[in-house]
This record gives sequence, structure tokens and C-alpha cells, in this order.
Amino acid sequence: MTAWIDGRAVERDAAVAAAAELLAGARSPLVAGLVAEAAAVQVAYDLARTLGASVDPAASAAIYADLGALASAGAMATTPAETRGRADLVLVVGRAPWASGLARDLSADAPVRGRAAGRPRTLVALGGTGDGAVQHVAYPAGEAGIPAALGLLRGLVAGRVAGPHPLADLAARLRDALYGVVVYDPAEIGALGAEMLTGLVKDLNETTRCFALALGDPYQGRTAVQVSAWSTGQGPRVGFGRGRPEHDPWRFDAARQVAAGEVDAALWLAALPAPLPAWAGTLPTVALLGAPTGAEARVVIGVAVPGETEGAALWHPGRAVIAWQEAGASAAGAPPSAAATLADLHARLAAAPPRRSAATSELSASC
Amino acid sequence: MLTRIAGGRVVDPTAGRDSVSDVWIEDGRIVATPDRGPDRTIDAAGCIVMAGGVEVHSHIAGGNVVLARLLLPELGVAEPDAPNPHGSGRDVGLLYARMGYTTAVEPAMPPVNALATQLELAEIPLLDRGGLCVMGNDDQLLQLLRDRESADAVRDLVALNVATSRALGVKVINAGGADAFKDGAVRFSLDDEVPAYGLTSRQILDGLLDAVEALKVPHPLHVHCSNLGLPGADDSLIETLAAAEGRRIHFAHAQFYAYAAVDKDNPLTGGFRSAAPRIAEALARHPNATLDIGQVVFGQTATISLDILRQFSGRKAASPRKWIVNAGDAEGGGIVPFRYRDRGPTSSLQFAIGLEMMLLSPDPERTILTTDHPNGGPFTAYPRILHLLMDKEARDREVAAHPKVAAERSGLAAIEREYTLSEVAQLTRSGPAKLLGLTDRGHLRPGARADVAVYRDQADRTAMFARAHRVIKDGTVIVEDGEVVAWTRGRTLQLSVEADAGMARRTESYLQGRFGAGLSSFTVPDAAFPGRRADEPVFEAVACRT
Repeated sequence: MTAWIDGRAVERDAAVAAAAELLAGARSPLVAGLVAEAAAVQVAYDLARTLGASVDPAASAAIYADLGALASAGAMATTPAETRGRADLVLVVGRAPWASGLARDLSADAPVRGRAAGRPRTLVALGGTGDGAVQHVAYPAGEAGIPAALGLLRGLVAGRVAGPHPLADLAARLRDALYGVVVYDPAEIGALGAEMLTGLVKDLNETTRCFALALGDPYQGRTAVQVSAWSTGQGPRVGFGRGRPEHDPWRFDAARQVAAGEVDAALWLAALPAPLPAWAGTLPTVALLGAPTGAEARVVIGVAVPGETEGAALWHPGRAVIAWQEAGASAAGAPPSAAATLADLHARLAAAPPRRSAATSELSASC
Repeated sequence: MLTRIAGGRVVDPTAGRDSVSDVWIEDGRIVATPDRGPDRTIDAAGCIVMAGGVEVHSHIAGGNVVLARLLLPELGVAEPDAPNPHGSGRDVGLLYARMGYTTAVEPAMPPVNALATQLELAEIPLLDRGGLCVMGNDDQLLQLLRDRESADAVRDLVALNVATSRALGVKVINAGGADAFKDGAVRFSLDDEVPAYGLTSRQILDGLLDAVEALKVPHPLHVHCSNLGLPGADDSLIETLAAAEGRRIHFAHAQFYAYAAVDKDNPLTGGFRSAAPRIAEALARHPNATLDIGQVVFGQTATISLDILRQFSGRKAASPRKWIVNAGDAEGGGIVPFRYRDRGPTSSLQFAIGLEMMLLSPDPERTILTTDHPNGGPFTAYPRILHLLMDKEARDREVAAHPKVAAERSGLAAIEREYTLSEVAQLTRSGPAKLLGLTDRGHLRPGARADVAVYRDQADRTAMFARAHRVIKDGTVIVEDGEVVAWTRGRTLQLSVEADAGMARRTESYLQGRFGAGLSSFTVPDAAFPGRRADEPVFEAVACRT
């Protein structure tokens, strides 16, 4: 069973046809989620271009905390493997790196490459609850929160804060490290926190080496960022309504658009697990899901789970790149991939252009 | 279908051809004049007919190109009907094709990020593409060299990286410099040691030069030297050329090294003057060497480089004041926005030096036109650059508008040479194709791929080269009067090279230990491109030299 319309099981072809009809009839469609392999995300952008749709990945909140800081301040970062191989000091910011297990992993070994090789690795924490099993020195963020604490720390490192300060010792540790790494989750500390953190790291590099390491998001957001960049020249929240990609992280926020009544149909793509948005039950929606029940949306189509029932190009959190992941299980009986299903949908829509275009030209003619 | 491109002035220096005649095409290839009539005729009267242009060094894909777009969102915005060379892959393909280019190579593909780079390259339509695999700062290679393993082991590791990343060739970027930077260095030269490995940059370069020769890679080792952009960088280039000891070597964006220190004792404070004559003379004496220019053009751009030591050193010149330096698994990358000030003294001198290098060239096939897009400026500046090479009067007008220092510290103003169309074809077609070892392009002899550019012959060479009258890719007309008429997808060129099974086993174990992921995680399988039809494969094999 891999396809449903209004909760009733149907032939897959009928569901794809219904999906094409639903999307072609929309005046302002939305393509959202993009929790899938790179090839599927690619077709989703191609499809959005054909439809004149807007696009918003499920991971946008986390992505834009980092992209906002990137576009205003740049970055100075390193990779998980270089952190394991070279870091003699790891500053864990906030709670998320502890929850993800990364902090614990980093505590398990010591630098083996570069000038810090042979030194022990020290873990220090700022504003996190820590982990009873991992030895570390914890510094409180204070009532003003993590971004403010990072700002103070930056001031201390640069010698701009006079007098004694609870974080002065942490600043000294960062300055003394040979290869410091500051681990954080952009979703937790936000754009302001990420920008402060970038400033801190850059200042430290005037005299030593220190880099940021962001946790990835669990929803293939960093795959969407890359596919979007090469497909549109911009970040992932784009709209093709005017025939060319326009990037606007506020305007093309799916939740905001749905709440404001700006979209009239949606395609939700989640070949990998992701929370289903509430609007999938109210807005006419086509859902492509790796683990469907059939009741999630008006049209539901099951797709292969990338990296499980088929090999796929996916974000690899340990390597922090898009990497090939072999199928883990037999593909026998698995439905077609999200990429193939979207390509089928795209071909049908390209053959029968959205009805909306006729209406739009009538509208322009009357203006 | 038999096609006749009729009555154009056909310029193919590889055949000594520059005359009004026909070019015949059948089944995607150039054919000899047949004994039957054409099925289709493309009227090229009043036009110049050349092979499709070939780009050897342009940053059009990869993690750092992605980051540059995200760092400078305003730079990549596509306005209606104004495709942007800093924008999407689609715009890049369109803009190259419009100028009559049909092949382009991304010179900096890190093997750790090969899959994303290849996915991005495949999304550049209209052109054939390729990527060069970057080595020279990766721990596995440096360990082999440090442990004095055999040249065969180094060769096998290079072969494995090329095969796994599906690259067309090999590039080295400031060998050892990124490692030195991670250990605190901000200056690094050919004979400096990478501290943690006890290896000099020269030793790493030497190992890679040998490996590329042993593997018979058609494209020579593509070298980004140390000290890019610094006064005295000409010494780095000349020393590196000597270090090649006769082995084939390609120097990337050589303009950025053609800076002789004005004050030899205080090179970093006294400014620079043109070293173009010195480099031209060295090139004349070393037939094993080639270079591409990295011509500077004016305006806002983003500099993108895996030379993180150099990018970090240049961070304070960032304009606007934001920059990225990532310490990656080998090099990583640095993005420093930069504005080459129109009429600014330094920018003007750099601009003059690039032109001077091409005009002093002993052999235009070995001094290939690039802007090192986007580092010197966008590739869309090529038509204007060709115009200036071809027209002394236009050049004099241009030079007159620049600060005097450009004329005083370069020899540009005194050069009378005007490039002929044949020399333009050498600079942009036959030279780059030969350099990449692509024998099926860069010329119009029978058997060549039917990649053809037809330009209306106009005195305004900028206009002529900016929008080709017709562009034909593999026999299909893809551009008419500067507009794309068929969105073909092109192929990605990869070198056919066998990886050694023993080295694959060693590497599997190395990668598992370092990344918790083995070789399969680093591969670029056909299955990653499921959107392509079986009869339209993404990749095309290029043979090694025999």
C-alpha cells in the first residue's frame, strides 16, 4: 500500500495524477519539508520553478539562525573530524551539543594531528547543564542568556571588559588553547548568538586558532541550503511566483504564509522522519512520505526511505557534507524514491502547465 | 543529420585555417566536406566561426561557491532577463554558452566534498563540465610522504582520489599551507615546513608532480603557488617552476603572482610592479609550463579559495567587512568579498599586469584567458578583455583613464601587439583544450566534437564575443542571437583511471578511523543522479595519455 486519496487506498498512478491536478489548480502553491535525499530536493526546486511555488524546508528555523549570522558576519568554522583530530579545547555552548551526544564523543579522545597532538582535550561548557559522565568545567551563562554571555566573553577575550569577571577564566582558556572549537546549535542560540560566537572565534584567531562547529539539523536542512544555492543562487526560502527565484526568509515562511492565507495548496516532502505540519490536514496537500499511514493529507504517496531502502546522497552529520549512503535494507517491495515520484509529477505538470497561468494572463490583460 | 555552417570566416589555428569556408557537422561531430548536400544550412556569412570556448579555471561549483552566495546574497540576485554569473548554475551555463563557451572546469573539488560538487556541476546546463581533485593538505597524503613511502604509494593514493571523486585532473593549492595555518602560521613559502609533518611545501609538490606524471593524467598538475597576491610573489612562481624540474606544470591565475617587490629588502611595504616580462621569459624557456591569467576586472566580487592561509591573511581587506575561513578536513576554504576599485591604483595595476602577460605571451596556447572567476572578477568580462587584446587604440583609451601608476609600474602602454583571431582562438580554444588533454575539442578538424561558436564579425569585439550569433553543442544549436534556444544538459568529464585495490583497502581503514565512514561514503555513484535518462548519462570518460 503506497498511495491514498482522502484516506482511501488507490493505485499509485491515480494518486500521482490527483497530486498533479491538485497542484496545477493552485494559484499560490507551496513546496515544503524537503526532508529527503539531494536528488529529491533538486526535483522539488525544479517543480517549484515550474509551478511558480514558494519553497520552505522543515529545517528553516535552524538554518536561518546560521544563515543570518553568516550573511552579516561571515564565519570561521571547522569540521567534526578536525575537531576530533586537532582540538585541545572544546567549548560547549548551551544544552543541545550535550543532548546530541557530540560533547560526550569529543570527550572520549584527544588531539592526534597538528601542534596540539599529544595534549589532553579539555571540555568547558557555557550555559549548558553538562553531562554527569563527562568531566568538564561549567560556566553559567547568566540571566541575560547565551547570546549576551557570548558577547561578554568576546569582550573579555579582546580585553574590552575591565575588572574581575566570572567568565575571565574561560576567556583565558580560549586564548591559551592551540586549536579551540566552540560547539553550538544555531537553533538554540539564534542568529544573534551565532553572530556573537563568530565574532568571538574570529577575534581569538588574531593570536591563536579557534573555530566554530555548528550542529546540523535533523531534517536535511543543509542539503536544502546547498541545492537551493546552486538552483537559485540564494538561500532555501524562495518564491518562484514571478517566474524567477526571489529569496525572502520572512515572506516565504510556510507557517506564516498558511496562517495569512497566502497559499492555497501544498506539497509536503518528508522521505525521512519529520513532524507533519498541522496545515497538512486543512490545506489541500500532497504528502510524499517515507512512513505514511494514508491519513496525513488529501493525497498521500509513499516513497522509499533514502539511505535505508535505497542508496542516496544525504547530509552526513559526522562528516558535515552531503555524502553517499548505501541502502541498509533490501529494496524489495519498497516504493519508488521521492526523486522518481517527484520527477513523474514534474513531467505531468510540465506537460500540462498550471491552469493558473491562463488566469494570471487574463488578470494582466485586464489591468 | 548533415549540417553545413556556410560561408563564415573559419578560424582554427590548429589547422592553420583562417579563411572563408564551410564547416560540416554530422552526428555531433565535425566531418570533412562530404560529397552530398546538407540537410540543414546555418548561414555564417559575415561571421567568424571558431570551436566552442574552453574554460580551465572558474569557480562554478562546490561548497565554497555555495558559501559565497550565502555570504553575499545581494551579489547573486537574478533580476528579470539579467542572468548573474554569481547566481545559479543555470545562469552560469547560460552566460558561458552565450559567449560561445561549451566546456568549463571547476578547479577546486575537495575529495571530501566531491559528491556535492558533482551534483552542482551536473546542474550547470548547456556546457560539458569537469572538476579537479584537490590534494596536498590532506593528512593521508602527508602521512605517506612523511613516512617516506614509495612513489607508487603516492601515485596510488592520487589515482584513488581522482577515481573516487570522478575528477578530470589534480590540483594542489599552496601545498601544506592549510595545515600550517591550522597550526598558527600566517606566512608560508615553498621551502617552509609544515610543522606537524616535517615536510616542506616543495616535497609535497614534488610527490604530486611525480604522481600525475606516473598516472599519465592528460592535464598537468594544476598548481596554486604560495604567497598569492603579495609583492615578491613572482619569486614563488619562478621557484615553483624550477622545482618542477622539467615536469609538466600548470600555474593557476598567474597574474596574482606577477608582482615584483619594488623594495626587495622590504617587500611587504614597498608595493609592487609588474613581473610580466620575467614570467613571459620564464615561460618561453620552459615548454613544460602553462599558465592561466586570472585577469582582474573592476567591481564587487567575492574571492573564493581553498588557500585558507592566504584568505585569512587577506581578511582585513574584505569589502564589505565580512568573510569566511573554514578549516576543513584538508584545506576547507576562505571567502573574502572584495571590490576592485574602478580607477583604484592597485586594481588598475593588477588589471594592466594581466593584459601585459597575455600581450607578452610567447605562446598564447600556454597563457590561457581566465579571470579565475570570481576571484579576479566574473568570467563575463572575457569579451571586453579580448577586445582590449585585439585593439591597441581601445587599450590606449582604457589605460589613459587609469591612474598613472598602472602605466609606470607595468609595460602595458608600450606594447603594440594586437591579438589576431587565430591568437584569440589559441587563448580561449585550442590552448585550454590541449591543456586539459581534451583532443576532441578546441579545434574544428574532422572528428572534433561539434562544439562551434559563430560570431558576427564586428569592429566592436566586446559586442561580438558577448553574444554569439549561433552556438552549437554536440551538433545541436543551443544559442541563437545570444539567447538560449535549447536547454541541453552537457556532460561531466571524468578521467578513466584505475584505483589500486590495495590502496583502496588501506584508505578504507584510514577513512573509517578518521571519519567513521568508509570509501563508499566518499563516492559519486551514477545512482546519485537519478533524474538523468539512461541515454543521457551525466559522466563521460576521458582517457589517460598513452
